[in-house]
Amino acid sequence: MAVNPSKRRKLDHEIQEDSSNEAESKQVSKTKSARLTNHEDGALYSGGSYKSNLFKLQVDEMLAEVKPNYEKRLGFISDELHKLKGLIESIGDRDPLSVQDAMKAFRSCNITIPFPDPKPSLDAAYKLSYARPSKINVSGSYATKTMIKSDSTISIDLIVTMPPSIFQDKDYLNYRYFYKRAYYLACIAAGLQTGENKLEYEYKNGNKLHPILVLNSKAKPGHVTEIHILLAAPEGLFAESKLRPERNAIRNKETIDSESFASVHTPFYNASLRSDCCVESYLKLLHGSSKQSSAFKDSCILGRIWLRQRGFGSSLAAGGFGTFEWSALIALLLRTGGPQKRALLSSGYSSYQIFKAVLHFLSTTDLLKRPLVLETDFLAAKLGLPMIYDGQRGHNILYKMTPWSYDLLRQEAATTSKMLNDSTFDYFEPTFIIRTNHLLHRFDCIVRLEVPESEVTKTLCDAVSGTRNFSLRLYDMLKEGLMDRVTLIHLRETVPERWPLKSPSTTANEQELVISVIFNPANVDRLVDHGPSAEDKKAAAKFQKFWGEKAELRRFKDGSILESLVWPAGSSYSIYQNIVTFLIGRHFGADAIASLEFVGEAFSKALPTFLTSGQLFEALRQDFQKLERDIRNLEDLPLQLRQLSAISPSLRNSSIHPPSFSTLRPLADPADVAIQFEGSGRWPDDIEAIQRTKIAFLLKIGSCLEETNAEIISRIGLENDRQALQNCAFLDIFYPSGAAFRLRIQNDREQTLLERQIKGTVEDHRARTDAVAALAYYKRLFIHLPLLNQSIATHCTRFPFLSPTIRLVKMWFDRHLLSEHFSEEFIELLAAHVFLHPMPWNAPSSAMTGFLRVLFFLSRWDWRLVPLIVDFTGTMTSSDAATINTRLEAWRKVDPSMNRTVLFAATNHDTTGTAFTSNGPTKVAAARMTALARSACKIVKEHGISLDYKTLFATSLDDYDFVIHLNPKYSKTFKELSASKQFKNLEVQSNVDLELVGLDSVETYVHEIQERYGETVVFFRSKTGTVVAGLWNPQYGPRSFKVNLSYATRPLAVGDDQEIVGIDKSTMLAEISRIGGDMVMKIEVR
Amino acid sequence: MSQIPSTIADYAVLPIAIPPTPAYQVKTTHHVYVRPHAPKLPTVDDSRSLFLVNVPVDSTSPHFRAVFASLVGAGRFESITFESERKNAPSSAILAIEATRGKKRKRASEADVELDTGLPQTWDRALHKSGSTAIAVFADEKSAEAVLKAIKKLHKSGKGAFPVWGEGLTEKVPKLGSHRYLTHHKMQYPDPDLLRASVDAYMMEFNRKEEEASQMAKRMRNVPDEDGFVTVTRGGRSGPARRDDAETKRLELEEKEEKKRKEMGDFYRFQLRERRKEEQGELVKRFEEDRKRVDAMKEKRGKFRPET
Repeated sequence: MAVNPSKRRKLDHEIQEDSSNEAESKQVSKTKSARLTNHEDGALYSGGSYKSNLFKLQVDEMLAEVKPNYEKRLGFISDELHKLKGLIESIGDRDPLSVQDAMKAFRSCNITIPFPDPKPSLDAAYKLSYARPSKINVSGSYATKTMIKSDSTISIDLIVTMPPSIFQDKDYLNYRYFYKRAYYLACIAAGLQTGENKLEYEYKNGNKLHPILVLNSKAKPGHVTEIHILLAAPEGLFAESKLRPERNAIRNKETIDSESFASVHTPFYNASLRSDCCVESYLKLLHGSSKQSSAFKDSCILGRIWLRQRGFGSSLAAGGFGTFEWSALIALLLRTGGPQKRALLSSGYSSYQIFKAVLHFLSTTDLLKRPLVLETDFLAAKLGLPMIYDGQRGHNILYKMTPWSYDLLRQEAATTSKMLNDSTFDYFEPTFIIRTNHLLHRFDCIVRLEVPESEVTKTLCDAVSGTRNFSLRLYDMLKEGLMDRVTLIHLRETVPERWPLKSPSTTANEQELVISVIFNPANVDRLVDHGPSAEDKKAAAKFQKFWGEKAELRRFKDGSILESLVWPAGSSYSIYQNIVTFLIGRHFGADAIASLEFVGEAFSKALPTFLTSGQLFEALRQDFQKLERDIRNLEDLPLQLRQLSAISPSLRNSSIHPPSFSTLRPLADPADVAIQFEGSGRWPDDIEAIQRTKIAFLLKIGSCLEETNAEIISRIGLENDRQALQNCAFLDIFYPSGAAFRLRIQNDREQTLLERQIKGTVEDHRARTDAVAALAYYKRLFIHLPLLNQSIATHCTRFPFLSPTIRLVKMWFDRHLLSEHFSEEFIELLAAHVFLHPMPWNAPSSAMTGFLRVLFFLSRWDWRLVPLIVDFTGTMTSSDAATINTRLEAWRKVDPSMNRTVLFAATNHDTTGTAFTSNGPTKVAAARMTALARSACKIVKEHGISLDYKTLFATSLDDYDFVIHLNPKYSKTFKELSASKQFKNLEVQSNVDLELVGLDSVETYVHEIQERYGETVVFFRSKTGTVVAGLWNPQYGPRSFKVNLSYATRPLAVGDDQEIVGIDKSTMLAEISRIGGDMVMKIEVR
Repeated sequence: MSQIPSTIADYAVLPIAIPPTPAYQVKTTHHVYVRPHAPKLPTVDDSRSLFLVNVPVDSTSPHFRAVFASLVGAGRFESITFESERKNAPSSAILAIEATRGKKRKRASEADVELDTGLPQTWDRALHKSGSTAIAVFADEKSAEAVLKAIKKLHKSGKGAFPVWGEGLTEKVPKLGSHRYLTHHKMQYPDPDLLRASVDAYMMEFNRKEEEASQMAKRMRNVPDEDGFVTVTRGGRSGPARRDDAETKRLELEEKEEKKRKEMGDFYRFQLRERRKEEQGELVKRFEEDRKRVDAMKEKRGKFRPET
């Protein structure tokens, strides 16, 4: 072939060129794709597909953290699985036996066949048999590699598919399939029992139709690994159309006779059977999806974590929505579910986008009202159950869900969607880290109930348990009876346990049910319920039937005549309790009532004088309004009044002890009020002179008020005698009702002058620090407090349970002797934070949840890194939050040992974050707060609903160096309390003693010793108690002698060096006792 | 605590026995360090004064009178000034006023009316800081020396001879404890008329001083200094009446300028380009910050593991 060698050469060349080209282009495409992925990554981070960088980075960290190392941790398991597979395959076939013979055969080898209830009749015509399984597969999250490290055991699902040969066409009817399945399982158990394996029965997902075998692997000590042996039916064993939700597959003799079985649905039985038939096809579906979308696996893991933190699981008791359902839902939505049968999710979505879209889908579609039917044409009937019917595989993947678990799921999804859509704050932790399913954190009232035995053992048409049937009815009844008083009702059933092979399943007849509700604070304490109008005969009859003798026909002010219910007045808990007790008694009998046990009210009862919020503080507020009117009406004042602002906890519903006063017993602690006049050029240009001018002003106001109303008494008092730059006088005003107010004048110029003094080049260091202190004092009193007062008061009306929560938290701080370190305002901010930023829950609707969530927040709050941000108006932007964060970081850089600022609490009124935390706490006190909160949360978690609230408030004096016991006679609160306990007619005899109003010897004493010894001793005190505890600062050891030491010393004769002195604790304690004089009963040194 | 050293540095150690109280039934000894007074700026009384360190917080003049009387007999001790009294001297503003007042008094004898510009006291007895100092003045140099000698002797004779704190003083000093706080509470509310008088007096002084200052400023306006320059002072014809008015005006002006600058921000192409660049830089910066924060979280808080 000597044709044109040149050509050939050329060709060769071309080919060569081509290939090199190809290689080159490959390389190009490679780098291109590399760049592309890089670029994509960049796009991810720059905020396209993720909420924020911070969120994405944290999710990445978490995913890396939770994924187990399959090679290392589970490498050994594949050998074991192979061994097990071999063992199962080697089990010999068994000839068909009648039920009776089969039971007899197994009794001899000490195994009980886990037949479901009702047990098969012994004279049944069909035979049970065993044949080699057609397939053995590994499935579940181990196969899809979507496991997460969890503290509990790791379990691996091994699926044994039964051969079709042992079944008959009609086996789908009347449990026959399940009997055969149980026999098959017992055969495997018998086959495996021979080895050293420890085998137990368990109900898969708590479904009594699905017993499985659990094998504890001992291959690797340390980790508990379980292998679950599940049984599956061969695909297409029974026709899908026969097992649709609205079909009936359990036919009693009676129904067959009357041929009315078509009207009785057995959706649960059908779905349980279908789920056995679809095991393999779902395995394929999930596998396909992970091929289709690269983010599928991660989104499954995210969902798995999200569900786990909310207490959801595949099992019946955990709500019937777990990892499998989540993954299957994503897989389905990647295929279909959208408009015009297109996919709802795109396979190009990132894992976060899928996660968010699924949550959005769950929260916005009501699958109870509109069942979702995918990829098939049949129209599902509404059965009152949530439904996602996967037509391809013929299965309702939500078949285990109940109305309440579905409701909870939707609410959780909605809450999380809200978090993910919030652009201001980072909600990573509430989304994935925080565990939200603790009953006491989530629900306002919890009721324990024993299910009546007759209900447990009831036989039903569908295969659901008696308990489930009971709780379904109970739920419907409560939902109807409680109406809009509650936003969520949730029931929890007892979880069935594992049981050994030899005995029958241990379903106890004593089943406990836990009913938990979330109150709707606006409606829960309503006393009168309006039913249908009397004219609407049908509805009225129904109402009467439901409520029995409780229903009354009433005529209301607007002329309407309605069926109605009237409940005895009381707290929200007592009303709720009345209703629930009545309903259960009426519909389930007196036996059920006897076992009722209500949990939740104790916390609000812990408060001194707990009434429904608001009322307690109303009287003082009204007198305050009167004061404002009176002052506004004064005509002789030289300047026009601009504003009168309340700045006292008792005027914003947040003092532990509500203000109590009467004509003869004036308010013991005058409520602080700030007054501001219109600006004027006549104020002097010197701070001290301004302070003195204020005295003249106050004197004028006092005399004017006394002139206009002879019953008003005023007196002027001095304060801050050592700080010339700070406010030096106040005016106490007493109203005849007993209300007392303390007035201080605000003058804008003070701030300007002080700022000038700080900025200016004042050579005197002390003058500057004085000015800084004075400015902080001014800002706190006249700028921050009025704003805070207003915000807290507003939100106390918006959230009825904010006020009791604040008071409980204050009491907690007080009982743990911390109230000297933490300002009341800071504690109010803490409580407000929990109400305004309640994620991952919704705003608390009881004092208990409010209080426990504050503790929970405190136990987790890392105040070194994270600021407390309270957005009162909901108008903060992410840049505001970023500014606050930056400011905290700046503080930590300037003052890394946290000597000045420890806690950082910013609001939209104060972005500096130190308005209420600049005077403490110290690091020691803050650390103690965290430690106490942590141990409190631990107690709450351990004790659960049997928690006694008193344990959280118990004072412990063990950790202190010395304790000063004061004589309660001199404690103001003590006196106040004893006075309020007095009989009213005794009051008349005692005289009104205005002179002693505001006297608090104990407080002044503590402040005095704090001022003297604050550097060497950390004092802890409760404002309501009579104990002061002290800790010596360990920093002050022996040291060389110096003149200006800030503590008492004594010379130490240590060695030759005679110039060593040590802190003289004993003389200091003697001094403390001398200063206290008769007020100190005992100083106890530990 | 076997043996108390009799001296420390150049101080003699004066042990004082503290009797137990019902609440704290421990007998203790307080140690005051004493040496001859030698301040940086010498005064006439130095030779007959002693410098005391680590005085008890509840010290009063009668207390020390008793202590020294027990050491060297009555009649030697003259007075004592505590650290808090020296340091708590009125702050600079009052000092200035008082200085002018003093001058005024010297100059114009007509201001002989006794003016008390201070506010009424609210405490009947001062408490001192822990470990603080005092200066005790004695009748003469010899008495001071005698005290030091007596202290030395004290160490030899042993514990029984230590002067006892507060012995026989119950009547002479105001009581501590609840009584103190009750008195304080009552003193906090002085007679309104007294208060009014005090405020009036203060304001009169203040106005007089202001007046004087403005006079001074006025005079300064026309007096050239040695280099022939006239210092510009406030209060001239064109000067603003108040400093803060000027300040607010300046702020307003700045704000206006700022606004103007902002409004013209995207006029030129380069401005747009620069802004875009800036935004990009900002994004990168924020990303870096976030990464740092996450790292910090990891470091301080441990791993990102969902709670159990």
